[in-house]
Amino acid sequence: MTNKLIDIVKVSKSFGENLVLDELDLYIRENEFLTLLGPSGCGKTTLLRILGGFETPDKGDIIFGGKNINALPPNKRQLNTVFQKYALFSHMTIAENIAFGLKIKGKSKSYIDDKIRYALKLVNLDGFEQRTPDSLSGGQQQRIAIARAIVNEPQVLLLDEPLGALDLKLRQDMQYELIRLKNELGITFIYVTHDQEEALTMSDTIVVMNQGYIQQIGTPEDIYNEPQNAFVADFIGESNIFAATMVKDKVVKMLGAIWECVDVGFGENKPVDAVLRPEDIDLVKPGEGVINGVVTNLIFKGVHYEMEVLANNYELLVHSTDMFPVGTEVGVKVDPFDIQIMKKPESEDEEVSNIEE
Amino acid sequence: MIKESLKKIYLFLIMVLLYAPILTLVVLSFNSSKSRSKWGHFTLDWYRALFQNQDIMNALYTTLIIALVSALIATLLGTAAALGIQGMRRRFRTLMMGITNIPMLNADIVTGISLMLLFIAFRFSLGFSTILLAHITFNIPYVILSVMPKLKQTNRSTYEAALDLGASPVYAFFKVVFPDIIPGVFSGFLLAFTMSLDDFVITHFTKGPGIDTLSTKIYSEVRKGIKPEMYALSTLLFLTVLVLLMLINMAPEKNAATSAKRISVSRGHKIRRFCLRKLTPAAIIIAIVIGGCYYGSKESGHSSNQVIVYNWGEYMDPDVLDMFEEETGIDVVYEEYETNEIMYPKVQSGAIAYDVVCPSDYMVQRMIESNLLAEIDFDNIPNLKNIGTTYMEQSRQFDPDNLYSVPYTWGTVGILYNKTMVDEPIDSWSVLWDEKYKDSILMQDSVRDAFGVTLKYLGYSLNSTDLDELEEAKNLLIEQKPLVQAYVVDQVRDKMIGNEAAIGVIYSGEAIYTQKENPNLEYVIPKEGSNVWIDSWVIPKNAKHKENAEAFINFLCRGDIAKMNFDYITYSTPNTAGRELIEDPDIRNSRIAFPDASELANCETFKFLGDENDALYNRLWREVKSK
Repeated sequence: MTNKLIDIVKVSKSFGENLVLDELDLYIRENEFLTLLGPSGCGKTTLLRILGGFETPDKGDIIFGGKNINALPPNKRQLNTVFQKYALFSHMTIAENIAFGLKIKGKSKSYIDDKIRYALKLVNLDGFEQRTPDSLSGGQQQRIAIARAIVNEPQVLLLDEPLGALDLKLRQDMQYELIRLKNELGITFIYVTHDQEEALTMSDTIVVMNQGYIQQIGTPEDIYNEPQNAFVADFIGESNIFAATMVKDKVVKMLGAIWECVDVGFGENKPVDAVLRPEDIDLVKPGEGVINGVVTNLIFKGVHYEMEVLANNYELLVHSTDMFPVGTEVGVKVDPFDIQIMKKPESEDEEVSNIEE
Repeated sequence: MIKESLKKIYLFLIMVLLYAPILTLVVLSFNSSKSRSKWGHFTLDWYRALFQNQDIMNALYTTLIIALVSALIATLLGTAAALGIQGMRRRFRTLMMGITNIPMLNADIVTGISLMLLFIAFRFSLGFSTILLAHITFNIPYVILSVMPKLKQTNRSTYEAALDLGASPVYAFFKVVFPDIIPGVFSGFLLAFTMSLDDFVITHFTKGPGIDTLSTKIYSEVRKGIKPEMYALSTLLFLTVLVLLMLINMAPEKNAATSAKRISVSRGHKIRRFCLRKLTPAAIIIAIVIGGCYYGSKESGHSSNQVIVYNWGEYMDPDVLDMFEEETGIDVVYEEYETNEIMYPKVQSGAIAYDVVCPSDYMVQRMIESNLLAEIDFDNIPNLKNIGTTYMEQSRQFDPDNLYSVPYTWGTVGILYNKTMVDEPIDSWSVLWDEKYKDSILMQDSVRDAFGVTLKYLGYSLNSTDLDELEEAKNLLIEQKPLVQAYVVDQVRDKMIGNEAAIGVIYSGEAIYTQKENPNLEYVIPKEGSNVWIDSWVIPKNAKHKENAEAFINFLCRGDIAKMNFDYITYSTPNTAGRELIEDPDIRNSRIAFPDASELANCETFKFLGDENDALYNRLWREVKSK
């Protein structure tokens, strides 16, 4: 991870009245696996389409390898896209599909044949040359779509929710497959998804977006453990988010009690948001925790139990491998470093942070 | 079980209802007997005769060329339009689809008339090109309709994927999008081809003289009486459309077949697909091109030296036209009409510059008053001497100075009666109100004829515009209604021949023919007087070949030619030289064909009474009919 490969400078885009991207800044480095993560309508797909050349930004610049490529049509760009619905050419065989880009570039027949074989091997579909797209499963089609893109040796591969149409098991397999591919090819992946698990599993860098703004940029661990605002905390994993007051450094008041934490620099008696991950809450005997509560709901989730605890009129979501039946009185305890304190955003839409990891 | 068999019977009945008429037609096309009710033996003669009929083969060629060219152009335009519509935003797309769908739902006759008006307004002369334009117009929506669903099915991202892989937009369209929509384009083309082949109404309104498609040709042939060749032609037409429809319906099937099993069936599949996609259209095109060259070489090609004739249907011996062309070197472009009222607006609009037309007396008057007619240069018509002076005198009723018209045929309206079915000799219109003949009387189903007869019976003029006289006539007609078996036009002839009625009001020209068929029939001009009518040749003001038109009229005034036409159409000829040549003395001196001047003493010709009085007559006639 060294040089900036793509620099997105103050890019805005609107469709009619609807502002989709607002002066967005972002750069992508060589060999990075970068994920644009956000709910639908957050502008992530539009950003990807701008990179692919299918949309032009209203304002701002896309700099690719030092050159402005705003006006460059898709067929002239050094990047390839894998589409959500595979977009295979149904009237062509798999081999013809994969050879499509190479034929346009005027490569020799032997070169194309080698490439087809190499690409099919890479996506674990050797021998599928003469099949038609209709005869393949969804996962196989998606792998062909990837093969078709990578034979062109792009510097960047854009992937637009490529696993969205697959079932859960297949999706998980494909996640590992994509990581392996990325490592073998050594090129930049820009990946769009609304699935936080996918993002956390595969990415080097996650860009969380909402309503056209970047909410946070960081490694998966940063994003998960140190969400910088309530939106990120809520969107990534499951969270308990409470309005709280920073009494002073390392002391926070929430849930009607005073808690010890590790955060400093928020000032004294400042309103903040506090995040408690469900798995970070420990249930103990009544009186042994900071506050007391009652278990109101219990669901077995396989790996853990999911419980709802009512304490001081606040509802807490708790994940634990220990089971407490409904009606049990419990004490609630949280380790100081598991309490994440966040500044309150001045408005919901606002871009909270552009800080580097 | 009973339910099952009932279902089958129901299905069977529906199939019978749907296909019995066509089956009858197909069977009759192989029937050697000309009669519709008798089976002779199996024959292909009608098909042979059909292929030897140059007119029909020309019409066939025109039909195919128009169908092919209009379908091709409509497919191009329609596909492009569909692409454009697909690219629009949803709201506009829905709006555009609505707009393009409306012409399909619109009544053909409205489309036809609007197109005709448009062509006339923009001074297009009606002919091949206007038919072609009209067909392209009404075909485009069908192409859009069949391309759109395919386009909607195609994933827009395949196009983008192609761009992404380095394809230029054009290459991406033809390599990726087009193969996906090809079944839609293909069935759109076939649908357009079929619709064009099938169309009559729109063609009828947008065609010019001397050009016919099969449907308009069949229509004009059928008007003259249905010939068995028409059965053969209709059978072939039905089969062609059937095959095309089957092709259209099979075309989407190949998409459905693209399942996982495709690999194993791909061989047979590919062959069928090849047949459907390449072979059939190629065969159609080759057939048309060869047919076109073959018949094109036979066609003499229209020179500028021509005369455009607009005449009543079945109102001239076709041999006369050939003789005229041979003797003068002038090409005849011949078109027919059914009534004066159809002819008038066509001439008035000026869309087609007819050179010579054959309206009836009152219509000649109306055309003179509307300033539509050119004065005829009688120096160019020396044969006018053959026309009896009495007829020229009669013509003065509508052409006061004999400047515009030359009489062609004439006749009277009278009573045809069956001698075996009436007691006394008939000489008065009063017999039409005689209770004795209840349900044996046939009246003409036409306002002027019905009122004319009644007014004459009452002793008034048949051009009366006096409201009291007309009311009186109306009441008399209402009184007569219970006695009348039917109000008909052409069926008087057939019904009287078939002894189905005792008394009928009929035109004298028909009477001669009926008498030949059924000797018991007798024709009389009632003593109160009747209508004497004259059909005359006139030359419209906008005629482009006036001298040729005069040469044509002069030719028709030749004695031998007049006689040929008399033999063919059996309507009385005003041509004295022609009458002299009639071999059969019974006919030459027939009182029906050539009544004495005394018998015509009380007769009048119809006059154009003005639009207001026309409306009055029509209102009164409606009152009669609805009572």
